[in-house]
Amino acid sequence: MEKQEPKGWNPYVAGALTGLLLVFSVWFTGKYVGASTTFVRSAGYIEKIFDAERVKNLEYFKKEVPKIDWQFLFVIGIFFGSLISSTTSKSFKFQGVPTMWEERFGPSKAKRAIVAFIGGAIAMFGARLADG
Amino acid sequence: MNELLYGFITGIIFGFLLQKGRVIRYDKQMGALRLKDMTIVKFMFTSILVAMVGVYILKDLGIAKLSLKTTVLGGNIIGGLIFGIGWGLLGYCPGTQLGALGEGRWDALWGICGMLAGAMIFAEAYPFLKKTVLTWGDYGKITIPQILGINHWIIIILFLIGGIGLFFWFEKNRL
Repeated sequence: MEKQEPKGWNPYVAGALTGLLLVFSVWFTGKYVGASTTFVRSAGYIEKIFDAERVKNLEYFKKEVPKIDWQFLFVIGIFFGSLISSTTSKSFKFQGVPTMWEERFGPSKAKRAIVAFIGGAIAMFGARLADG
Repeated sequence: MNELLYGFITGIIFGFLLQKGRVIRYDKQMGALRLKDMTIVKFMFTSILVAMVGVYILKDLGIAKLSLKTTVLGGNIIGGLIFGIGWGLLGYCPGTQLGALGEGRWDALWGICGMLAGAMIFAEAYPFLKKTVLTWGDYGKITIPQILGINHWIIIILFLIGGIGLFFWFEKNRL
């Protein structure tokens, strides 16, 4: 039997601390957090490998220039923060199909991959349209 | 260079707290969308309320500036609806799915690839969208206190009361 994962922090406490983090970020560096612009810049980077000319001419990549900036490092930091938190608290779990998904749609990794990919593409399109 | 380091450290703390709050994994995200588990809403609303008070204090003290996004109803509403469909399919948010990957949920990789593809598609569609959807209901950079013409602390206090009331309701109903 798999060992039960320890309970996390109270969501109000973790949320309030996150709120303080956002305030300190604005205070010390003037930076408001965000993530979706990083996907645009990274997409521009990747597309540049295949068709640099196209990226140079696309208006949106002129607006959101492909570059490594504060937010890019912020997004990478989220990965490491979560990795540190989960591996030091027996909360890390290597899982390719989420539990709730599996109960409803079965254990197929391919099925999950296809829907997650399409979902990601739609979500990002919407996020950029809403300028979020 | 310094700026990048700040970004990295802020991200690490952010990811750490999100993981501690157990809000990044698929089951929690779906739990919120299915209105069965409000952990994420509790976390998110608390951090918004705290940040709202803190940032406005900084603004009133002249230490910080607000960073307002333009209100374009066409983009905000249609984009929000599209985002919701994608979120429901994927079960992760753009930034936090990096956190999901960090706690071992490697199906987030598909979401990340999908989002990169979505960004490329958006870049292609942007010239068209700019002339259409993104011109519908463009109100510029506005805030709620500004359109109502009242002091921002009135709005903040109303949000605090509403938020805390919601939290009590969640706890009463064990959501």
